[in-house]
Order: sequence, then C-alpha cells, then structure tokens
Amino acid sequence: MGAIRSTPNVQPHHRHWRARGTVATVVLGLSISLLACQHNAQGDRITVASAGRIASLDPAQASTYGTLQLLSALGDTLYRRDSDGTLRPQLAAQPPQLSDGGLTVTIPLRRDVLFHDGSRFNAEAMAFSLRRFLQIGTQSYVVGDRIRAIETPEPYVLRLRLNRPSSSLESLLTSQYLTPISPKAYLNHQDRFLNNNFVGTGPYRLSSYTATQQRLVPFRRYWGPAPVNGGLDLINLSNSTALFGALRSGEVDVLLSDSLDEDQRLALDRRAEQGQLQASAGPALQIGYVTLLSNHPPLQQQLVRQGLAHSLDRELISARVSHHQRQPLRSLVPPSLRGGKPQPWPVYNPQRARTLLSQAGYCQGKRLQLPFTYRSNVPSDRLMALTWQAQLNRDLADCVALQLEGVESTTVYRHLGEGAFKAVMLDWGGSYPDPEAYLTPLLSCTQSTGNVCEEGEAVISGSFWTRPGLEQTLRRSDSLLGQERLKLLLQIDRDAAEGAAYLPVWLVTPKAWAQTRLAPLEFDGSGQLQLARLREKR
Amino acid sequence: MARGRELLRYCATRLALAPVMLWLIATLVFLLLRVAPGDPVDAVLGSRAPADAKALLRTRLGLDQPLLQQYEDFITGLLHGDLGSALINQEPVGQIIAQALPASLELSLTALLVAAVSGLAVGFSGIARPEGKLDLAGRFYGIGTYALPPFWVAMLVQLLFAVILGWLPVGGRFPPSLVPPSGSGFLILDSLMSGDWVALNGALRHLVLPACTLGLLLSGVFTNALRLNLRRALRSDYVEAARSRGLSETQVVLRHALPNAMLPVLTIAGITVASLIGGALLIEVTFSWPGIALRLQESINQRDYPVVQGIVVVVAALVVMVSVVVDLLVALLDPRVRY
Repeated sequence: MGAIRSTPNVQPHHRHWRARGTVATVVLGLSISLLACQHNAQGDRITVASAGRIASLDPAQASTYGTLQLLSALGDTLYRRDSDGTLRPQLAAQPPQLSDGGLTVTIPLRRDVLFHDGSRFNAEAMAFSLRRFLQIGTQSYVVGDRIRAIETPEPYVLRLRLNRPSSSLESLLTSQYLTPISPKAYLNHQDRFLNNNFVGTGPYRLSSYTATQQRLVPFRRYWGPAPVNGGLDLINLSNSTALFGALRSGEVDVLLSDSLDEDQRLALDRRAEQGQLQASAGPALQIGYVTLLSNHPPLQQQLVRQGLAHSLDRELISARVSHHQRQPLRSLVPPSLRGGKPQPWPVYNPQRARTLLSQAGYCQGKRLQLPFTYRSNVPSDRLMALTWQAQLNRDLADCVALQLEGVESTTVYRHLGEGAFKAVMLDWGGSYPDPEAYLTPLLSCTQSTGNVCEEGEAVISGSFWTRPGLEQTLRRSDSLLGQERLKLLLQIDRDAAEGAAYLPVWLVTPKAWAQTRLAPLEFDGSGQLQLARLREKR
Repeated sequence: MARGRELLRYCATRLALAPVMLWLIATLVFLLLRVAPGDPVDAVLGSRAPADAKALLRTRLGLDQPLLQQYEDFITGLLHGDLGSALINQEPVGQIIAQALPASLELSLTALLVAAVSGLAVGFSGIARPEGKLDLAGRFYGIGTYALPPFWVAMLVQLLFAVILGWLPVGGRFPPSLVPPSGSGFLILDSLMSGDWVALNGALRHLVLPACTLGLLLSGVFTNALRLNLRRALRSDYVEAARSRGLSETQVVLRHALPNAMLPVLTIAGITVASLIGGALLIEVTFSWPGIALRLQESINQRDYPVVQGIVVVVAALVVMVSVVVDLLVALLDPRVRY
C-alpha cells in the first residue's frame, strides 16, 4: 500500500533511473553502430556460402553436395567432365587405354603433381587412395563389383583389372569419391576416416577447418593453372533464410543453391534479372521421381501404374512447386546425358489415364485410394504431394484419390526396401555423370521372379519392379561404347517407362548466385562450381 | 547449528540423487532412440549400400549386439567418462561436445545477461507508479516477449538488422575470413586472452543478434517475476517497518524490498540458463549458431545414437548441477527456507 501511495517521494528517483536507462540505450546503440561500421578487409579472397555442415573432409566419408564441392577445390580426380560433357584427363596424362577385351584399363599418370604435404603423386598414391576407398568408403558401392585388382606396373602407370568390361568406368573416375590423398598424410588413417584435414593435390590447400567454416589458400606448387582468386572462405549456414540473407546483405560473395527454398531461388533470380546479382546454372543432374510399389495391390497392376503415369501434370506441378524452376522430366536419365533423345514417359493425358484406370477396374463407382508418402523434411516434396492430390481431385476425382502421409526422410529410407510405401516421392543424383549411374541404382535386379524383383537395387529403391532380361541388358550396355551403348541405355529407359514403376517428375538444376562485381560463374560437367575460377571483374 | 545440519543433509541428498537422475535420463534416452524408426547404418552408408557392408558396419559399431549388451556397454562407458564415438564419422563424442558446448554456453550466458538486465530494468521501471503507464507497458512487455514465437522473431530480427540494414552478420559464429582464436572454445574469451581485437570484434558482431533475440524473448519472465515479487514485498510488514523508521523510498526499495524480491528471480535465472544450454534450438538453427542444440538436432536426424546420448547426458548433468547450485544459493541467502 505504502509504495503505491508514495509516488511523490519516488518521482525524482524514477526520473533518475529513466535518465540512466536513456544513457545506457544510447551507449548500446552507439556500440552496435560502431561494430556495424567495421568491415573486414578480405583482399581478393572470395566468400562462398552453402547449406549444411561439412562433417568430414575424408573422400571415403563424403556424401553431401557441399562436401563434394569442397573436395573439388582441395583435390583433383583422374578425369574431369567439361561443361560440354567432354572427358578431360586431369591427374591422368591420357585417356584410359582398354585392352584384354575391355578387362584391363591402363591409365598413364601425370608426373608433375605434388600433394599439399610436398609428397609426390604417383601410381602408388592413386592405388592407395582407391584401395582405401574400396575398403572403408561409405559410398564404395558406386564402384560395385567392377574392379578386381589395382596394379602399379610402373611408377606413373595405374592398371585396373576388371571383373567385366565397363564403359561407365571412365565417368566413374571423374567422381570426387576417388580423389587421391597423400599416403604419407593418411598413414595412420588407412582404415579409418580423417575428418578434420585433407591432403590432396588440388588448386587449394586447407588452411583451417571447422564443420561450419573452412578457409582455403592457393596451393603454390599446384601442377595446373593457379586459382585466379586469393583464396576461399567457405561458410556453411543452417537454413535457407540465412543463406538468402547473407547474399542479399553482401556478407557473402557467392551462394550455392543446394537447399535454398524455391521462393528464395525465385527472388534471387529476379534480382539477377534486374542486374542486382548474377546467376549461373550447371548441368541438371538430380532427378525427382515417384516410386510405385509394384509387387502388391493395388499397384501390382501395370494398368494402374500406367494410368498414374498419364495422370501426372508435370507442368502444373513444376509451376506450383517451383515457379517453373524445376524442369518437368519424363525420363530416369537427365536430358544432358541422353544425347538429346526424346523422353519416354507419357505426357499428361487425363483421358488416357481414365481409360487405363477404368480398364483396371476403377472409375465406375470404385475409387483407387492410394497412400502417397512424401519426405516431411523436404518442403518441395510436400508441395508436390499437395499439388498432385489437388490435380487428381480436379481431373480424376471419381477414379483416384491420394492419401498423403509425411514421413521423415531417415525413416523413409530405412523402410523403403521393405515395401513399406505404396507410392513415395524421392530424389536421386548419380555419383558420376553417366546414364548408368541413374538406371542401375533404380533398375538393377540380381534375383527375380517374373516382373517382381526379389533382390537388388530395385528392391532397395522400393519399386520391386523388373523385367526378364533387364539385368543382362544393363550389364551388356556397360560393355558397349558410344552411340550403341546410349541406344541400349535408352531402350532400358523406355522399358522402365512402360513398366511405370517409377514416375519421373522433375529435374533439379544446380545454381549459384554471386555479387555483380564477380566475373561470371562457371560449372563443370559434373555440376560442380569451378571455385578456382571465381574472381572479381578486372 | 540445526539449520546448518539441515542444509548439509539437503546438499548430501541432492548430490546423491543427481547420479540417479542422470542414470534415469541416460536409460530413457537409450531406450527411446532404439525404438525410434530409422537406422543409423542407413544414415552412415545410405540405403543403397550392399547388405554385407551394412552388416559389417553394424558389427563394427556394436549394433548387432543384444540390446542389453549395448546398454551395458553404454553405461560402462559412461561410468568411465567415455561417451563413445559418433556413428557418422567416428569422431569422439566428448570432442564433439567440447566443440559445441562452449558455443552454446557463450550464447546462453550472454542471452541470460541480456534477459536479466532488460527484464529486470523493465520490471523495476514500473514500480514507482503501479498501474501507471510504465507499469502497464512492463506488463505487456512481460507477456508479449514470452508469447512471441522465437523462430518468427529471430527471422524478423535477422531480416531487419542483417539483411535490410546490414548492421550485423546474418548467421554463424565468426567471420569466415578470419581464423578463430584457439583455446577454450569461448571465442570472446579466447580473443580477449590473445589480444586479438579484430577477432573479438568479429565474435561480438556475430553474437549480438542471437544473444539479444534470445535474451529479449526471455526477459519477460524476469520482468513478470520481479514485478510481482517486488509488489508483494513492498506490501509486506518489514517494508512498512522500514518506512516507519523514516528511510527514503529508494532505501526501502533497494535495501529491503529488492533483495527479497530477487530470490525467486535467482531460481528463475538458474532454471533459464539450464534450459537454454540445450533448448536454444530455434535460435541456433535460425542464426546458424554451431551450438549443442543444433548438433543434437542433426544427430537425431542421423540417428547417431552415441552423439544424442552423450549430449543429452551432458546437458542433463549441467541442468542438475545448476539446479543444485541455485537451490543451495537460495537456501544460503534465505533463512526462511526449510528442508
């Protein structure tokens, strides 16, 4: 009571406290302004932002886009795909030489290459790196059963003995997973990962590393063209808004788009159109697709799957989900790897879809209730599911209805091979730019009965679909070269379209945005941004 | 003397119960992770790895052992201070926590400071004229800051101060162009110790937005606690007695009412700092702050059992420790407390 009534006594103190508060606010404001006005001198170093932590720098452990992009700056591979798709020797001195009916691959190596620790790159070092990857590499299955033995007949000649002829091997040798590492530096890590360091042969060497920030400096004894910038500061932010904001505020020079929200991609593109930023795109190598469970009702009927294939309005989905940024796709193989050949999956045709579903026994008072799972932690998947559901309600309401279910991606992948999902939205990016890297992981089947795959990649992919002779055709395609091989691979793609156990939906293009003071950005044929070529305009 | 013995017994009981609580928490998190869907082997190798490679890794990680055996190994390791290694990259969990915990503590303690200073200042400002404009504003502030969704506020703050005004960095903990000072992992402390003012500036600039956002969002709790307790204290007999002795209102408030009103605030501060260590996830995610909450979230997504178990146990230990210390402080400061 006393306190409430005693305001006249307190008033001067109140003013006193208020004055102190005002002074404190002014001091705080001035401090922040002072801090804000200080800029870091960066010289000609370039700051590049991307999403997600870099948990390990070991090529044997790498799997994320960000890690592979980083490895492309710190290391070299034997071969590299140019932006026009041409295979170019990098650490190899010449193209691979085939002999023994394609069972032996001989690769002459460059003699002027040093690792960042000063040791020399040679055939032993390359063999060490390959053997280590095959032994402990988490993605070693990409090599599969191809390599029988790795030999070093001469100090600068690597020889691979194969179990079967493999024309996709040359593309495989462009993969960042097979980046050579210094045997000297990895002596104590032959059978375990070295997460916080990397000693390779690339144009940059690692100066400092944390999972969220990496500092790269040019490697002065690099065998190839020196980087055109003074070094790279890579920063990994945990969400799309932060990435977007970092570029807009000028805090970073370059932004890689691997997990930027669609709206923000669009906003950045619009700023690029207005000349406030610049945008660049690489070859689209990541596909989004729906897997249909083909060995259980109701989707064991090919007619139903084909009906669904005709029902998918990819143009609408692309527009609603990504403002047309995701290119509609009607093939399991990205167009850049198809040699311009037409895509085999049917275009959107609701009348044909109705006919096929009617033939399967639906539409005449019987509605197909199809559970459709999407990865709840992937926003574009959810939008795709909602759009397709609405589109089917509009076009084929009496025939089919989707029942949506969001499941976290870890759980999806855990149960995919158990046939837990009737229909599920997924994505896939080949480990190297070759049609085989898309078809085999989705279609390969080592044991089957009729059209049902019982063991193999088709099981792991959740479709359980195969076709008699498909595995042999896949194998045979890997023994052919050039147009003959491409023709066979596209035939496999057509077979898969007819089977309709997968519904390709869209293609994701790797993009990067940069401040306008930088020279145009360049991607290579594997979809990696050429970090060593980042520079300010002269 | 009797009170001293009581206090000692209370301390002993709390300290004896702490390991039991930690054991219960460790057991619970162990079991919950095992029943959660998803497989750490898939997270490491990907779902397409060959079955034999998966089986080999499962054996190497001890995941093929019976659950009881895995539990025994986990508890035995825990008792020996060994939290195991991450499934994803075999990095020791102790090392992971040692890297992430300083970031979280730095953020939490600064946020607590911001919360306490701003919250108490607002709470105190209205006391001169209860039900006046300032008091009313303080009440709204207390409710408003507590009710605002942290991720939304964080994004607005980020957009305004980092993107539009460009005053402060969008996220991260340290400028990418600088090499962080080595030492304790507390970048501000390490910068100060090494006399690296550029690094200190960089670390402070990165800390301002997340700490102020988190601090201001929490400050309402302090505002309300102080307002209510101070008003109650000002109505009490001992305050009336102080006034009747002719003390000025400032002396009455600062010497008699405030210390008593601050006791519950101390408890709140303890609980807040404890919960902040592991609970500032939304702020850490929004500002890409590489703290322990962010690491915990990533590890849960990857089903990295040892990392999740390790972080939960360490955070729980800190929470228990802080709550015991706060209880003891309150008991020491307030003679009315009985056990």
